[in-house]
Amino acid sequence: MTTTSEKPATPDLAWLDDITMTELERNPYKVYERLRAEAPLAYVPVLGSYVASNAEICREIATSPDFEGVITPAGGRTFGHPAIIGVNGDIHADLRGMVEPALQPVEVDSYVEDLVRPIARRYLEQFENDGHADLVSQYCEPVSVRSLGDLLGLHDVDSDTLRDWFAKLNRSFTNAAMTEDGEFANPEGFVEGDQAKAEIQAAVDPLIDKWIAEPDETSAISRWLHDGMPPGQTRDREYIYPTIYVYLLGAMQEPGHGMGSTLVGLFGEPDQMEQVVDDPALIPRALSEGMRWTSPIWSGTARISTGPVTVAGIDLPANTPVILSYGSANHDTGLYDAPTRFDFHRPPLPHLAFGAGTHACAGIYYANHVMRIGLEELFESIPNLERDTSSDVDFWGWGFRGPTSLPVTWEV
Amino acid sequence: MGFTATVGGRSVDCAEDQPVLDAFLRAGIWMPNSCNQGTCGTCKLRVVSGEVDHRSSPADTLTDDERAAGLALACQARLRSDAVVESTGAVGGRATHPLRDLTATVLEVADIARDTRRVRLGLPEPLAFDPGQYIELTVPGTDLRRQYSLANTADEDKVLELHVRLVSGGAATEGWLFDGLAVGDRIEVTGPLGDFVLPAAEEDDGGPMVLIGGGTGLAPLLGLVRTALARHPQREVLLYHGVRGAEDLYDLDLLAELAEVHPGFTFVPVLSHEPAPDGTGYRTGLPTDLFVDDVASARGWSGWLCGPPAMVEAGVKAFKRRRLAPRMIHREKFTPADALG
Ligand code: HEM
Ligand code: FES
Repeated sequence: MTTTSEKPATPDLAWLDDITMTELERNPYKVYERLRAEAPLAYVPVLGSYVASNAEICREIATSPDFEGVITPAGGRTFGHPAIIGVNGDIHADLRGMVEPALQPVEVDSYVEDLVRPIARRYLEQFENDGHADLVSQYCEPVSVRSLGDLLGLHDVDSDTLRDWFAKLNRSFTNAAMTEDGEFANPEGFVEGDQAKAEIQAAVDPLIDKWIAEPDETSAISRWLHDGMPPGQTRDREYIYPTIYVYLLGAMQEPGHGMGSTLVGLFGEPDQMEQVVDDPALIPRALSEGMRWTSPIWSGTARISTGPVTVAGIDLPANTPVILSYGSANHDTGLYDAPTRFDFHRPPLPHLAFGAGTHACAGIYYANHVMRIGLEELFESIPNLERDTSSDVDFWGWGFRGPTSLPVTWEV
Repeated sequence: MGFTATVGGRSVDCAEDQPVLDAFLRAGIWMPNSCNQGTCGTCKLRVVSGEVDHRSSPADTLTDDERAAGLALACQARLRSDAVVESTGAVGGRATHPLRDLTATVLEVADIARDTRRVRLGLPEPLAFDPGQYIELTVPGTDLRRQYSLANTADEDKVLELHVRLVSGGAATEGWLFDGLAVGDRIEVTGPLGDFVLPAAEEDDGGPMVLIGGGTGLAPLLGLVRTALARHPQREVLLYHGVRGAEDLYDLDLLAELAEVHPGFTFVPVLSHEPAPDGTGYRTGLPTDLFVDDVASARGWSGWLCGPPAMVEAGVKAFKRRRLAPRMIHREKFTPADALG
């Protein structure tokens, strides 16, 4: 008779040592599927951090009183302090109070149609009679950055510059690889982020100078300077810059990612594409599934334990950072059947694409409407879109994820 | 214990401490939602009847005014009674004409094409409807109801005109409308029904229209076309009537007259199963294919389809191919009676 050990065998986690950033950026799903199965809360050496990969643990940590927000090391290196995603207590409350007025549903309802629809139309007019386009670079990204750029008051910064900034900040923010000694493995990866920040300051400083002297109610950044401050005083620019960078990366990039991923998902399921094109009322539902299917902020934020705490049977000492991989949590087979399939008819359970807890996304309502209007105008103008199948669609990113391009054709 | 929450006619059980959103989602009923913690406002809905407890809905997301106006956050609200809710996204439907039951009198039964009859029904009092809508007839002595589109314009409200095609073995047609139906007969009529209607006159910008009817699917298009041209006499209107053979065409005089008065109106009879007789100018093929050949771009047009399901489906595809905005594609969604019998 053979005996098996009393305890269930602990899986051998040596494979975690072999994970590379390149593999995660190309396609994180394989690694994370294994993480969810074997170690849904695990220390991943290349990231120098614990990682939460299933829905239950991500939600628990994001909403737990034993954790608070922290920025990842590469994120902190890129944004500096105090970025809204990495601060807590009074400073976080002040920064939320600063960004939220423009993002409240009632407020968003008052401007979003007039802001986004003409922008979407303008970009469509540039290519709608061409019969072919790359929807990522010609539509999803431009609509996303122009809408937010105008909302912030950056009318004079052209859309290609805004796209260039988010791409550079993205690569710098997610330059996460660490050495065994806890040093950045690729310090040169931050150079382009620093360049982008220098360009941003060169463009935004003069605007801030102007807004300090002449407040502009129609510019969100101008209001960040003045709102809630005693008369004659403004928030310090060094205090708001890190949060400006949060916007110029995630808030600029993600509605574009969200539209792009949803379109790729729909192209893969022609019946669903046809239903959405024929009935635009289904667009919000398709977008919600798109966010679940390929979450734009795939693994971008983290929390840190405020004291010793046990999560999912693992004891974590105080000050242990945990990266929240929402993109993985949204493929949790405990919640979703066949999670790799795009299916907006699946049972509509909530997803974690916008995070949870006190640091949950502040721009959900706004972002959902930007994406909705973007797809409405696209399908209205080009109802006969077809994917150009001469090449596959590439996705890129571990921290932030979406299609890198999406060539389409149509009859004109 | 719990209560029942109803949206769009579908009801779900909602436990006392269960968010309304959760109850709907678990039952597979989609509602917009994102944060599930009361901060984003995506799940806002209107409580039509019943009472809810807003719980920890933040005042920032759900203002006092909104609460007073009957709004709630589905992800936070718990039920205090059975409740009916509706999505706030739903566009407030324009006022509809009240649905009525009337007893009509048959004024005319005329054979106007192969296996096709025109039936005129006199009403005891005017019926308010929009052109393009339909009515239901009850087959005498049965519970069977059949839907027929009105060929009328809104001012033709005392005599309704239906086009009926014979379906072999059909209880309503072979058994009744083509068998013994006589002037003076009484018919139970319910209507008006359907949303196959033009935009309200003040919102109708006179844009170009393409309409494709198969067989007696022409009927509602006649009401729509005449109304559209009365509103904007110069507008561009392209009407295709698809039938099997020349014997199936009807109302050619009416349509020729309309084309004479309105230079922007074009009527295209299309035969699918036989060549066009010499000198008629009829076209052959499928009307949905001809539209693709005839029109290079239908951007900014509206499109209207009534006929057998396969034709309607092909029409939607053809319209989209010519980049007619899906929002502007209207189709009669009831299955025409001649597909049922
Ligand atoms: C589809 C587009 C977007 C997605 C998927 C998304 C997703 C997220 C996620 C996952 C987080 C982190 C949440 C957490 O750590 O639990 C976040 C944070 C944040 N997002 Fe978004 N976001 C999007 C667009 C936007 C936009 C357009 C804005 C602003 C206009 C915005 C503003 C913010 C802010 C300010 C934070 C930081 C919140 C905090 O730490 O308190 N987001 N977002
Ligand atoms: S889902 Fe965000 S407020 Fe309810």
